[in-house]
Amino acid sequence: MPELEARGLVHVYRDSGVRALDGVDLRVAPGERVAIIGQNGSGKTTLVRHLNGLLRPTEGRVTIGGEDASGMTVAQLASRVGLVFQDPDRQIFSSSVTAEVEFGPRNLGRRGERLRASVARALVAAGLADDGEANPYDLGGSRRKLLALASVLAMETDVLVLDEPTTGQDARGVERVREVVEEVTTEGRTVIAISHDMRFVAETFRRVVVMREGRIVLDGTPDEAFAHESWETLSSTYLEPTLAARIGHRLGLGPTPTDEGLIAALAARGRTAQ
Amino acid sequence: MSLALRGVGYRYPGVAVPALLDVDLHLGSGEVVGVTGASESGKTTLCLVVSGLAPRVVGGRIRGTITLDGESVDDWPMHRLAGRVGIGFQDPTSQLSQVAVTVFEEVAFGPMNLGVARDAIVERTWEALGTLRIEGLAERDPRRLSGGQQQLVAMAGLLAMRPAHLVLDEPTAQLDPAGTRLVAEAVERLAEGGASILITEQKTDLLASVADRVVVLRDGRFALDGPTDEVLADPRLIELGVREPAPLRLRRLAATAGVDPALLQPAADA
Amino acid sequence: MAGRERLTRASHSGLPEWLGRPGPSAYHRLNPLTKATLATVTAVAAVALGGLVGPALLVIGAVLIPAVAAGVLGRLLRLSLLLALPIAISAFLVNLFFFPGGRTELLRIGPIVATAEGLGFALEILARILAISGAVTLFYLTTRPSDLVLDLERRGVSPRIGFVANASVQAVPAMVERAVQITAAQRARGLDTEGSPLRRARGILPIVGPVILGSIAEVEERTMALEARAFGRPGRRTLLWAPHDTAAEGVVRWLLLAGLLVLVVARLAGVGP
Repeated sequence: MPELEARGLVHVYRDSGVRALDGVDLRVAPGERVAIIGQNGSGKTTLVRHLNGLLRPTEGRVTIGGEDASGMTVAQLASRVGLVFQDPDRQIFSSSVTAEVEFGPRNLGRRGERLRASVARALVAAGLADDGEANPYDLGGSRRKLLALASVLAMETDVLVLDEPTTGQDARGVERVREVVEEVTTEGRTVIAISHDMRFVAETFRRVVVMREGRIVLDGTPDEAFAHESWETLSSTYLEPTLAARIGHRLGLGPTPTDEGLIAALAARGRTAQ
Repeated sequence: MSLALRGVGYRYPGVAVPALLDVDLHLGSGEVVGVTGASESGKTTLCLVVSGLAPRVVGGRIRGTITLDGESVDDWPMHRLAGRVGIGFQDPTSQLSQVAVTVFEEVAFGPMNLGVARDAIVERTWEALGTLRIEGLAERDPRRLSGGQQQLVAMAGLLAMRPAHLVLDEPTAQLDPAGTRLVAEAVERLAEGGASILITEQKTDLLASVADRVVVLRDGRFALDGPTDEVLADPRLIELGVREPAPLRLRRLAATAGVDPALLQPAADA
Repeated sequence: MAGRERLTRASHSGLPEWLGRPGPSAYHRLNPLTKATLATVTAVAAVALGGLVGPALLVIGAVLIPAVAAGVLGRLLRLSLLLALPIAISAFLVNLFFFPGGRTELLRIGPIVATAEGLGFALEILARILAISGAVTLFYLTTRPSDLVLDLERRGVSPRIGFVANASVQAVPAMVERAVQITAAQRARGLDTEGSPLRRARGILPIVGPVILGSIAEVEERTMALEARAFGRPGRRTLLWAPHDTAAEGVVRWLLLAGLLVLVVARLAGVGP
C-alpha cells in the first residue's frame, strides 16, 4: 500500500484567480483514517481533487508511493485513489444498481469473476445487497448516496477519498459509512474524508486536519483537534467542538471528543472518587 | 388559526405503494411541529401534502381531509393555498425566482404574484428581511450569496407572503456549519416569535431546540408522535433510523454506564 | 404569522431608492424596449440592405457610436468578435473559395481557387454578421434582461413568457457547470475522456445522462418552488417599479419599425443595389 504525499501544494483557479490552496503539506500513511474539516471555501475539496489528478497543482506536487502524480493520467490515478463526490446525482446514470457499481471497475479493465466479486463485496459493504436489480432513481436520498460510495468501493483502490459522505444520510446511513471506513482501513487501505459532521468525525477518524483559507491550520488526533486549546482555531473556520468535548472541558476531564469517551472519563472519575 | 390533516393518505403518480398513510396532524397557531424519520420514510411527501403541492402540482392521488381553520381546502387552487401555507425546500438555489436581481425583489416576488398593493409589498418585504435580520443583503444579487444566506432569503420570501403556517423541508441539509447555524438561529427566532411551523430535519439537535412536538415517520405512517422531550428520548428512535440528539444520547449512555446523568446537566449548555 | 407578537423591525421602510437604479449612461437609460427595437432593426436592416456600405454604416452609426456613448466599446468589440468569429471565419472561407459565380482567380491552393467575386461576397457576408453580432451585444451590454421582462409585463405581456425566456438564458451556465462536475465525477471512476474517439464516444452516456436527468429534476423543483409562491395565480401581478419610458421614445420606436418595413418592402420589390 502506498503512502500519499502532498508537498507545497498551491492551487490558483485560472478563471477566478482564487488561491484555493496556499501551501499545503500533507502526508498520509497506508491504513490511516483522516478527516478534513473547515468551512466551505477553505480548500478541502480543491485539496482532495489533487489526490487523483482531477486538479493539477499550480505549485508543489503530489506523490503516491513516492511516484510523482503529475506523470499519471486521471484514469491511471483512478485505479489507486477512489474519490466519491458529494452529490450522487452528479454521477448516477445506469438503469440498475449493479450496472452502476460495475462502471468503475470495468473502466479499470476488470472483467469476469474479479468484477463480479468486487461488485458484490461493495454492495454488501454499502448495505445494498438486496437492491442490485433496483433502478437507482427509485432509491431514496440515503441509499443513492450509499450507491455512489459502493460504485467507488468496487474499484478497490488503495486510497478512498469521501467528500461529505454523511450529508443527506439518515442515522443508518451514517452508521454504514462509519463501518465502511473502519473495514477499509482494517485492510490497510487509506481513507480520507471531508466532513462537516463533528460527531461523525470524532467517532470515526483517528486524525483530524483543519483547513482555513487554503492552509492546514491544525493536524492532530481528535483529542487534540477538539481539545480546549484548539477551540479558537476551530471557531476561526466556523466549526464547533462536539458537545461531549465541551462538557468534558467544563467538568475538567481533559479532551473527550466522543460521547463514549466522555462517559468513560466520568465513570473512571466516579470510581477514583469512591 | 389551524391546519389539520385527518386520515390523509397519498400516492405519487405511477406508484402503487402509498407514500403516506392514515396521517392525522394538527398544526395550531404558534405551534412548532418537528418531523423526522429515516430516509424514504415520507418526510418530504408530508411537506408536499401539507403545503398542497401534492397533488396540485406533483400529481398523484390523495385521500382524507385537509382543513384550514375548519374549512376544507380540497378545491382550492395552489395560488390560493400559497397565501396561507408557505413551503421551503432543501436546495437554496432552486428556490430563487431567477428573475430578481436584488434580494429585495426576490423577497417581494411572492406578494407581487399575490397582487398585493405596492405599498403593502414594500412594508412586508422590509418586515420579512428584518425578521430574518438580512436587511443588509437587500441590495445584493441573490444568486451571488452563500448557501446559508440564500436559504434565509428563501425563508424571507415565504414570510413576505404572510402565511399562517410555514412548512420547512430540511432547511439545513445542504448547508455547511456556518450556514446551518444561520438558518437554525432564524428558525428558532421564528418559533419564538410565534410562527406556526412544520419542520422536517435529520438534525434532531435542531428539533430539540425549536419543536413543541415531534412526530417520527416510518413507511409513510406516524410511528411516534408526542411532546419533543418524550419523543426524542424514546428508546425506539434508533431502530426508526433517527440520530439521537447529542444531549439525550449522553444521558442514555451515562445511565447505562452507571454514571449519574445529573453530572452532565450543569454543563449541557456549555 | 399568527399568535404571538410579530418580530417587526422598523429600521427600514419605503421603496429602496436603488431599485431599478438608472444605468450609467444616457444609452443605458433608454427604455429596454427601445434598445431591443434598435438592435432588431439594425440586424434586420443589415441583412436587407446587403452590400458593404449599408451594413458598414449601420455598424458605425447604430453600434459603434452608441457603444462609445455608453462607455462599453472595449467590451463590445471583444464580445461581439468572440460571438461572430466562428461563423464569420467559416462563412468567409466558404465564400472566398467556393463562390459559384467566381471567375477572377486570386489565389490557387491545389485544386481550390480563391476568386475576386468570392472575396467580395465573403466581405459582404462578414459585414452583415458583424452588424448582427454588434447589435445583439450592444443590447446585452446595456440592458438587464429582467428590466426588459418587467417592461414587457407592464405592457401586458404575460410574465410567464418573460420568465421562461429569462430562465432559459440562466439555465445554460448552470448546465455547463453541472456537466463539468459530472465529467469530474466520472473521470474519478476511471472514465477515459482523453483516449481514442471510440473510447470517448463511450463516455457520452455517463456524462449526458446525469446532465439531462439532473436538469429535469431541477426544473421540477423550481416549478414547485414557484407555484408555492403563487406564480400560477391568474391576473396581473403587482410590479414594484418599471423601467422609465417617454412618449418620444415611443415615437422613435414606431419610426424605426416603419423605416424597417419600408426598407424590407423596397428590397422585396427589387429596389436598391
